Amino acid sequence: MNEKKIIELKNVAKSYDGEVILDHINLDVHEKEFMTLLGPSGCGKTTTLRIIAGFVTPDTGDVVFEGVKINDIPAYKRHVNTVFQKYALFPHLNVYENIAFALRLNKISEEEIYNRVEEMLAMVNLKGFEKRDVNLLSGGQQQRVAIARALINKPKVLLLDEPLGALDLKLRKDMQNELKNIQRKTGITFIYVTHDQEEALSMSDTVVVMADGKIQQIGTPTDIYNEPENAFVADFIGESNIIDGVMLDDYKAKFSGHIFECLDKGFEKNERVDVVVRPEDVDVVPPEKGMLTGVVTSVTFKGVHYEIIVNINNFKWMIQSTDYVEPNQKIGIYIEPDAIHIMKRSEYSGQFGDYSSFSDELDRLSDISEEEE
Amino acid sequence: MKKRTIFGNIYIILAFIFLYMPIAVLILFSFNSSNSTSNFEGFSFKWYGELFSDAATLDALKNTLLLAILSSLIATVIGTMAAYGIHKMRNKHLKSSIMSVTKIPMINPEIVVGISMMLLFVFVGGILGSKSYLGFGTVLIAHVTFNLPYVILSVLPKFKQMDKSLPEAAQDLGCTPLQSFFKVELPAILPGVVSGLIMAFTLSLDDFVISYFTIGSGFETLPIRIYSMTKKRVTPDMYALSTLIFVSILVLLLLSNLTSDKSREKMSKKAKKITKIVVGTAFGVIGIITVIVLIVSAGTKTLTLNVYNWGEYISDGGEGTLDVNRAFEEYYEEKYFLETGERVNVSVNYTTYASNEDLYAKLKSGATGYDIIIPSDYMIQRLKSENLLQKLDLNKIPNYANIKEQFRNPFYDNGEEKYTAMYTYGVIGIIYNSKKLHPDDLAKIEAGEAGWELLWDEKYKGQILQFNNPRDAFGTAMYALGIDVNNATEEDWKKAQEYLKEQKPLVQSYVMDEIFNKMEGGEATLAAYYAGDCLCMIGNNEDLGFYYPRKNGEVVTNIFADAMCIPSSAENVDLAHEYINFMLSEEAAVANAEYIYYASPNKAVIENEGYQINMGKYEIEYKLDENGEEVPKLDEDDCYIPVLDENGEMIIDEEGDYFVIYDDVLEDNLEDMFNTYAYRDLEDESRATLNQKWEELKVDSQSFGGGIYIFCAVILVALIAFGVYCYIIKRKRRRLYWNTQK
Repeated sequence: MNEKKIIELKNVAKSYDGEVILDHINLDVHEKEFMTLLGPSGCGKTTTLRIIAGFVTPDTGDVVFEGVKINDIPAYKRHVNTVFQKYALFPHLNVYENIAFALRLNKISEEEIYNRVEEMLAMVNLKGFEKRDVNLLSGGQQQRVAIARALINKPKVLLLDEPLGALDLKLRKDMQNELKNIQRKTGITFIYVTHDQEEALSMSDTVVVMADGKIQQIGTPTDIYNEPENAFVADFIGESNIIDGVMLDDYKAKFSGHIFECLDKGFEKNERVDVVVRPEDVDVVPPEKGMLTGVVTSVTFKGVHYEIIVNINNFKWMIQSTDYVEPNQKIGIYIEPDAIHIMKRSEYSGQFGDYSSFSDELDRLSDISEEEE
Repeated sequence: MKKRTIFGNIYIILAFIFLYMPIAVLILFSFNSSNSTSNFEGFSFKWYGELFSDAATLDALKNTLLLAILSSLIATVIGTMAAYGIHKMRNKHLKSSIMSVTKIPMINPEIVVGISMMLLFVFVGGILGSKSYLGFGTVLIAHVTFNLPYVILSVLPKFKQMDKSLPEAAQDLGCTPLQSFFKVELPAILPGVVSGLIMAFTLSLDDFVISYFTIGSGFETLPIRIYSMTKKRVTPDMYALSTLIFVSILVLLLLSNLTSDKSREKMSKKAKKITKIVVGTAFGVIGIITVIVLIVSAGTKTLTLNVYNWGEYISDGGEGTLDVNRAFEEYYEEKYFLETGERVNVSVNYTTYASNEDLYAKLKSGATGYDIIIPSDYMIQRLKSENLLQKLDLNKIPNYANIKEQFRNPFYDNGEEKYTAMYTYGVIGIIYNSKKLHPDDLAKIEAGEAGWELLWDEKYKGQILQFNNPRDAFGTAMYALGIDVNNATEEDWKKAQEYLKEQKPLVQSYVMDEIFNKMEGGEATLAAYYAGDCLCMIGNNEDLGFYYPRKNGEVVTNIFADAMCIPSSAENVDLAHEYINFMLSEEAAVANAEYIYYASPNKAVIENEGYQINMGKYEIEYKLDENGEEVPKLDEDDCYIPVLDENGEMIIDEEGDYFVIYDDVLEDNLEDMFNTYAYRDLEDESRATLNQKWEELKVDSQSFGGGIYIFCAVILVALIAFGVYCYIIKRKRRRLYWNTQK
């Protein structure tokens, strides 16, 4: 990243009532960057955003904006604007007045206000909605008003707190594209908070994966997906089978009782490691040709592929395949060396990557509870 | 839409009948052309006209509105700030305990709030050394206080409903916290603030109990005025007023519904606009009225006289009568100008009470500042013995000479120095319905031989009305038995109680004001009541008659007097003397006597020919009205026209009201009667005995007896049993559930 740093968080920590929310994090945000803070609820991503916005004061550490420490500058004096999770549109004002709100505070001529509001409305495709009551707009339209309202002051940085969480899937996809376009057009730095890993991967220049008040990994979407640094990241970003393994030598890993070739090196001999294999990288083969063999415990049709859970040495693997297999069928699996990713063991080892208790329903439940946060 | 069942419809209809029948009746009778409460005699706006010519009521209305507007505005501002503070509170325990504390004044009985407020004001006033503790300020503080929780509870939910990020969004866009409150949070909670304001306004408008305890002299709100009228009758102009208040409250309610979010969403743009205009104008008008009232009350510097009198006990300008208080103001302003050459603004602040005991409590509570009070005989005795009255300077009251000699030394004021000037007096007599009375008894009455015993006559079982107050009810028994009402022993009280118990099965009901309807409507045959009021009833039903009960040929009944006094705490003693003097003048005294219909001790009144004619001393001319009924003919001054005989003399009407009020037999013995039969202030011990005996009599008289207690007890036990049952079931389930958890 060649651009200048615009925001730096230096050793920032925050706790409420003895509960640690942020555990001394360091983060640099660059100009024109689309950065996403990604993590499960309670990981501290929203608190990070609020510290930047000025609604939360960190216990320790500095917030630096364009090289100036801004810890003590109140929210209303910061050149940062926010798009709130539930939009927080002013219900007593119409669309035009909502967008013009920030300008009205600064004694700007009505004509200029008009021009700038119209410009914003054009950008978010809401021309002709000026007199509408914001309470009667659809979720997507409200979202656009919120974005226009936040951008009208031409902030250096736009903070977005799960802005698409309340929209349905189709609309969310459209808005993702639109947000990305707006960011490109305006060149404003976006800091985007979400717990939706797909959203994070598809929109961001940089993804910051957070958990338990700590930053787990910072990287481009492809880095994060292909080279997760620990079991948490591997599990949180996409589906993964994470198996205990031993690095016998460079390029040689042993797990599930079989020795595999891989592309990783630089571990100590016989070092215990976490092995990540993405479900889509596993090939189903007849048992006799398989590197490993196991019995299919369940098969679910997912549209593009089948989701197959296979019991291999009492570890449940997930495999995504376009070929149908029967439950209780004995199958073999084949893994290419480049499909194997070796990670150092971490505090998250052993917690993730086993699909023995996996169920779609549980997954959905946890999604809902996160959205309610 | 869901289909409603028949039962549902019946339920709704019943509920509405119970809720709105009383108000419908009230509204109907406010348009009644007569003042009867039993039959509707024709549609008229008469009482509305009356209402707007009654200065004291309008004054009370103005006070009430001023108080309601000020207290609701102040309560709304403070309440909104409090709600904001509570909303921002982080500590949940503190928050919930503050909420509980907030709710206490709502749940607390009003009487407790009222008394405690009064005590506080008197206490603090005492510390500050102020002479008159209670006044507009105190009642305003009291109203703000009891309005606060309602405002808080109406605003707080709006804060909770408000998106928490709204203030953050505002600050994010550049608002300071203060700007954010006014630009964003206040508009968001506005519906709550407005409904809180309206709620506070209506609560303050109709509050009686708290106002009653905290109000000072010279300031009267409408509810207090209406209540104090119960001594006499609530006049139909009060129905008119109540109707107007009901309609205004209804309008306010509709407005507050229109401003609520839900109905807004449904409305078209045009409707919204209209609502906005209507609500805006309504508040605008209220605001303008307040400003005008404030300016008017601030702008006039006046000499104020605080008069505290019974309700409906002065000629007030209604129905073409003289407004005595206004007349006094003009009279004294004129006099002052002639004497000093300076202009002064005199204002009589006329407030009213419902009973001697109310007056006593008020004076004892420290509500000083009354310049004139008009208590009854026994109360004067008590007030005098407690040094609450000051002596009159008769040199300043030349019209004192108008008082008949026999009324100058009543038992309560028979010393050298005079403390009182008698205002009216009255006698209790028996009113009867001649159509229902046995001819023998009628003959006895005609012969002047009837006594109290008719009220104990088995023939009239279920047709007799008895006083619903202990002193008068026991009085009837004691006069009948020949017991001295003022020196009764324990034994005597017991005898009287026995006698009343004997009468009880015959008594239709124990009544005060209801007697008017019952007698005029012919529901009851016999009752003892005050002579002046009996004449009113006779005026409305020709079948009714009246006599003074006798024992051994002598009239034996209660006589009572009300007299003007100046409390020792009065602030405007000279003006008070002027007022008493004016009230004893012919002009004022005649107007009052004609209005009140009680007997006057004033020579100038009794000798006034117009008064005599109007009170029916002479035969008068009648004419037929449009309904073919005989009504008195009136001259251009609205006075009756006497019939003249061939010599041009007026013909005396022996049956006329005049001779009932000023009965010859009575007239000769008034002084003796006063000393023998008037109620004197009872010793504490006797008062306690009386009240206890009365309670025994009354409790016994409740026909449902113990049944109601048993009924309540059964329900209570059932409720407790149900609660216990629920608890047991819950525990049982929980135990099972916990077992499965383990």
